[in-house]
Amino acid sequence: MTELLPQKQIDSFKARAAALAHPHELIVDLLRAIQSHYGWVPDAGVLLTAMTLGVLPVEVEELATFYDKIYRRAVGRRVIHVCDSICCWSLGAEMITEHLQKSLGIDFGMTTTDGAFTLLPSCCLGACGDAPAMMIGLTTYGKLTPQKIDEILLKERVAIAADA
Amino acid sequence: MNAYPQVLFKNRRPKETVLLPEYEKSGGYQGLRAALKMSPEEVSTQVKNSGLRGRGGAGFPTGVKWSFFSVDQPGDKYLVCNGDEMEPGTYKDRQLLLADPHQLVEGMAIAAYALQIPVGYIFLRYAYEDCSLQVERAIEAAIAAGYLGKNILGSGFDVELHVHRSAGRYILGEETSLLNGLEGRRPVPRSKPPFPAKHGLFGRPTNVNNVETLATVPHILVNGTAWFHGLALNPESAGTKLFGLSGHLNRTECFELPLGITLREVVEDFGGGVRGGHKFKACLPGGASTPYLTAEHLDVMMDFDPLEEVSSRLGTAGVTVFDEQTCMVAVTRNLNRFFARESCGWCTPCRDGLAMVSWLLDRIEFGQGSEDDLAMLKDQVRNIKGRSFCALAEGAMGPVEALLRLFEDEIKDHIRKGCCPFAGK
Amino acid sequence: MPKLTIDNLEVTVAEGTNVLEAARALDIVIPHFCYHEALGAVGACRLCAMMFVDGPVKGLQMACMIKAQDGMIVSSTDPAAMDLRRHVIEWTMINHPHDCPVCDEGGECQLQEMTVAGGHGVRRYTGRKRTFTNQNLGPFVQQEMNRCITCYRCVRTYRDYCGGSDFGVFGSRNRVFYGRIQAGKLESFFAGNIIDVCPTGVLTSKPFRYKTRLWDLQEAPSVCPHCSLGCATVPGGRYRDVQRVRAGINRETNGFFICDRGRFGYDHVNHPQRPRQARVDGQPVMIDKALTAVRQRVAEIAREHGSNSVAFLGSCRASLEANVLLRDWAVATGSAQLVFEAHHGRDRAARTLAANLGEHARSLEDVRRSDLIIVFGADPLAEGPMLVLAMRQAARNGGRIAVIDPRPVELPCAAKHLPVVAERLPVVLAAFGQGDLNAFDSHEREFFASLMAQLHAARRPVLVGGVDLLGDQGVDALCSAAAELSTGERSVGVMILLAGPNSFGGALLAGAGPDFEALLDAIQESRVRALVCLESDPFREAMDPARAQAALAHLELLVSIDNTPSLTAQRADIFLPARANAEMAGSYINNEGRLQAFLPVIDPGLPIRETGAGNHPPREFFQETPGSAAEADWWLLTHLLERGANLVELRKAIEQNDERFAGLSTIAAEATGLRLAAKGVLPPAAEKQRPHAATTGILPLLVTTVPVGSHWLAHLSSPLAATEPQPYVCLHPDYANELGLAAGDRVRLSTHLGQCHVVVRVSAQMLNGLVLAPHLWDTALEGMLPGSRLDCRLEKETKA
Repeated sequence: MTELLPQKQIDSFKARAAALAHPHELIVDLLRAIQSHYGWVPDAGVLLTAMTLGVLPVEVEELATFYDKIYRRAVGRRVIHVCDSICCWSLGAEMITEHLQKSLGIDFGMTTTDGAFTLLPSCCLGACGDAPAMMIGLTTYGKLTPQKIDEILLKERVAIAADA
Repeated sequence: MNAYPQVLFKNRRPKETVLLPEYEKSGGYQGLRAALKMSPEEVSTQVKNSGLRGRGGAGFPTGVKWSFFSVDQPGDKYLVCNGDEMEPGTYKDRQLLLADPHQLVEGMAIAAYALQIPVGYIFLRYAYEDCSLQVERAIEAAIAAGYLGKNILGSGFDVELHVHRSAGRYILGEETSLLNGLEGRRPVPRSKPPFPAKHGLFGRPTNVNNVETLATVPHILVNGTAWFHGLALNPESAGTKLFGLSGHLNRTECFELPLGITLREVVEDFGGGVRGGHKFKACLPGGASTPYLTAEHLDVMMDFDPLEEVSSRLGTAGVTVFDEQTCMVAVTRNLNRFFARESCGWCTPCRDGLAMVSWLLDRIEFGQGSEDDLAMLKDQVRNIKGRSFCALAEGAMGPVEALLRLFEDEIKDHIRKGCCPFAGK
Repeated sequence: MPKLTIDNLEVTVAEGTNVLEAARALDIVIPHFCYHEALGAVGACRLCAMMFVDGPVKGLQMACMIKAQDGMIVSSTDPAAMDLRRHVIEWTMINHPHDCPVCDEGGECQLQEMTVAGGHGVRRYTGRKRTFTNQNLGPFVQQEMNRCITCYRCVRTYRDYCGGSDFGVFGSRNRVFYGRIQAGKLESFFAGNIIDVCPTGVLTSKPFRYKTRLWDLQEAPSVCPHCSLGCATVPGGRYRDVQRVRAGINRETNGFFICDRGRFGYDHVNHPQRPRQARVDGQPVMIDKALTAVRQRVAEIAREHGSNSVAFLGSCRASLEANVLLRDWAVATGSAQLVFEAHHGRDRAARTLAANLGEHARSLEDVRRSDLIIVFGADPLAEGPMLVLAMRQAARNGGRIAVIDPRPVELPCAAKHLPVVAERLPVVLAAFGQGDLNAFDSHEREFFASLMAQLHAARRPVLVGGVDLLGDQGVDALCSAAAELSTGERSVGVMILLAGPNSFGGALLAGAGPDFEALLDAIQESRVRALVCLESDPFREAMDPARAQAALAHLELLVSIDNTPSLTAQRADIFLPARANAEMAGSYINNEGRLQAFLPVIDPGLPIRETGAGNHPPREFFQETPGSAAEADWWLLTHLLERGANLVELRKAIEQNDERFAGLSTIAAEATGLRLAAKGVLPPAAEKQRPHAATTGILPLLVTTVPVGSHWLAHLSSPLAATEPQPYVCLHPDYANELGLAAGDRVRLSTHLGQCHVVVRVSAQMLNGLVLAPHLWDTALEGMLPGSRLDCRLEKETKA
């Protein structure tokens, strides 16, 4: 199992927290750092955040469970957030979702058996002009069509294979 | 195609971000230079006189907000830029930051000077990583050029800016929730009073403004208040506004247009009319929380006060258009689901009331609704609107209330037919 | 003082009062969930809507969020306000299960009441309900999250008020969850308060679960018997069982909350070994016979060996009335052998306090409002837990806290801690009182210099101490320091934690009489031949139990009046069963000199679950209630003195005989009590304490009380007993290193009292060079009494 966060980064957070009057302000930053390194935030990540910043574990968990973009359960290598808000909905987000679910063979909240993709619904992604849209990782894709989705998934699969 | 004066978007090019040299060449940081030659009070006065109103949705006069902030308070003070653009139908701040981010940096430097605040935070939503990178790059360049940091432009004034990347949730757009979020506490709203100007970030005096608002400030400093007033088509108003078009239009892009432009011009000239030759049925004039407009409102001016006169709001000026094939119950159901899901869970009307409204709209949309449900929907709106802790649930009731006011027949049609009359269309 | 009109009634309230409280002052109850007087207003539940018809604020507003102002005209019956209240209830009920018939909260469910009051009678929502998986929160608190209405009271109580760190609010929207990160025992010693504040059946008492429907529960206002602070409690009983305790409200002492020792310490009343039968020479007798026997034998011995051959030992857990009667008996007998506390260290310290406290007395409410609290030799969590919460409220309001104590004193708030040898505390206090920094070494000097600066700036400072570590000299030094540091503008307060609920009362009565050490000498030398023990156990409570047991063996007559299975009760020649605090009316004087009354909750008797051997109802029938012979301690003493046993008359007589207790006949159990101006008398001079022998291998040992395990009554309560620690010693990590020990090691602890096996704990917060051991009843550490300084050896044991 990979580490939650490289020691160097932990040390840097520790140093920043020590210099701050309010170390709590780094909680979200550190959770995001762990997530970006480890993929998601396991219980140990909550504890690591608390210990690194000198705050209570419960204070970390209170935030980790509030923000929807902090994953407190294991996710696939790529998390797909499909926008289901009004603009995307008006331009066929339901059809896009159906296509994604069919091609990945999973429902919302699930991860593909190969561990590649997790599919989640999302509120508006701020890509309303390019609806329907989805976000994979931190990259937003707009003006989606089934064909375009297939291309994107293929590209991501190649990238995942390259990572491994 | 857009013949109106371009201010925020004057340097905008598709898929490119303006860097410092180009920004400077186009008059960038002249507003800051001008400001630093004035006294802080003079800067605030100029912003106040410009008639600039907040671009984040509430439309509160920026200069008045600044005047609540007492400049000579000792101790830590903070300037916060609200970049948690999460209202469905709203994507203008992203377009602005991706096009020309130095405007925000300059605007924050000016605001910091006007309010004598040495530290600023730019709060950006999770999905806007692209913006975060551009803003960080702009900050770095500005520091190197002496626009930020110690003794900016030799003025003796120091200002530093930090980018905070959030992790989702619409409620953080509410300014006191945002402050809690920045502090690393549960981002539920705080009670007001005390207002952030007195008791804000870390309990210290804090001024919070939207991205577009702050980005507009440099231009006012350079060109003056008369010029700014002249930008609007509505003589009562001032300035341009970024309009993000979406929904059933031929062109769903973000345009910089004068305040006071008619909805018809926005829809027909800039949006290229409704797609597929369909008819305009309704629109959200300014994001998911603004009550619908219908065809009868096409000649209404898209501006703060004129829209309030027709029981709606300019909001964020994210215009989402629906054609005549759209079921407005379904639209409202989608919108309300968003608000119910994004409720922070602090107060009862929002946390449980919105869930109740969602349930009622589900029933009606899927043909299980009754006249009782319609009556219940009405009493829910009456008791949620104006009764919740913050503006989230209030905003959620905007479209529901408009649905009942403008489309009650459509609701009754659902109830009568026992199914959605638009199904399959 | 704003004057406003609510529902056409005028009311004037104090500045800063919110409109909800203003309405309450008119007996208009505005429904509310999230508002709580101790927690403040947050405006989350939106239930307390009132219509502001005219005046400075207009429109529909949450009454808790609006401060009363002059000229407000407010309506609670406005249709819009009532409509909103009805809807808020409807929303809170959306997910609430229909399990009222089997819910433990039924009968005191605020949600139930508000639902009826709010007019929400028919559930219109028929959709799916959100559900949660519950957590096991340990032995005290039962969680049933599906009932939650998300009022945030629990987390505000646990975290904000009590300073707990392992309970929080998770998630968002209509899926907010209150609990721990992972299942497990709630760590806070004040965790039980979330049971009281939860307005519905989410958080209920686990030990009380399924025992009684609340409308069948007998309740009465009482005073907690588990320390000297005098917290208001409301015990509840049924089936001759005290089944639970909830916090009472006393704004001068505990406020609205109590500690878990007070909440779960009730079960001593139901202890299976509790002696309930009068006995003479080992034979069960009727109570009258036993009373006659006591009277005769005491008189006989007095006649034969002189008045002073009869000694009387009162107690801090007996009522003030009984202790007064015991004194009267001694006076009537002509005996000067009268002591009110078997632990002579605590006795002397309490008397020193009673003699010196005077106008320096401070209540817990005063502590909550204090801006500087300096603790000398006290571990409030063990010795008076609610003081910890009071200190936390002071800290939350910006007050500063410093602790000078050799132990790792744990507080749920920021505090500066200086570990100092216990023996030095009187010297330290004297120097501090005189502002003499030369008495300190360089490290301490800095600490005290800053403390003195803070003290000079403080407007409401309080010095806190504990009797076990300070002893009489330390208490004297602390009171002197308070006097010296007081100025014309502001007086420095004193709060000393005593041993039991009526320690102060005993101290007032003791006068300049002997202490128990002196009494033991007299018994040893057969000058004293009879000893009457009122709810005390000299065999185990004397500071040197071995010496006590040897001496007490010489007695010709040992009389015990008790309600617990104490050693004295077992060994007594004559035993009289007394009622427990929850079974009688009486009064205590708390550690600030506050006289407080309590009322009976149930009548004594063998709990039905015992007589029925698990079956209910019992299949055997008696004329009398089994095990119901116990009488109030003062009732027994009035009979021994052959006086009328009427409490009202008794209290009047006490007032008349001793004006220090004026007011005793007037205090109500529900009230805040009466701070007495009474002063005590210093105890006679004591022999000097012997210094520690500095022999190699001999380590200094300090024995202290701990929150659970050191308090006799609480120890007899089964819910608490399950949480008592195993015997241990605590060392500074450096000291442990030096001794070749580490946390978790098993060692043999040897003192002159014997040997026992303990586990090593380490704490960097404690004094280096000291061995700390807890006093734990019914363990090998029982013989070491709190406050004892012993010589010890520690030998590491290899695992067998």
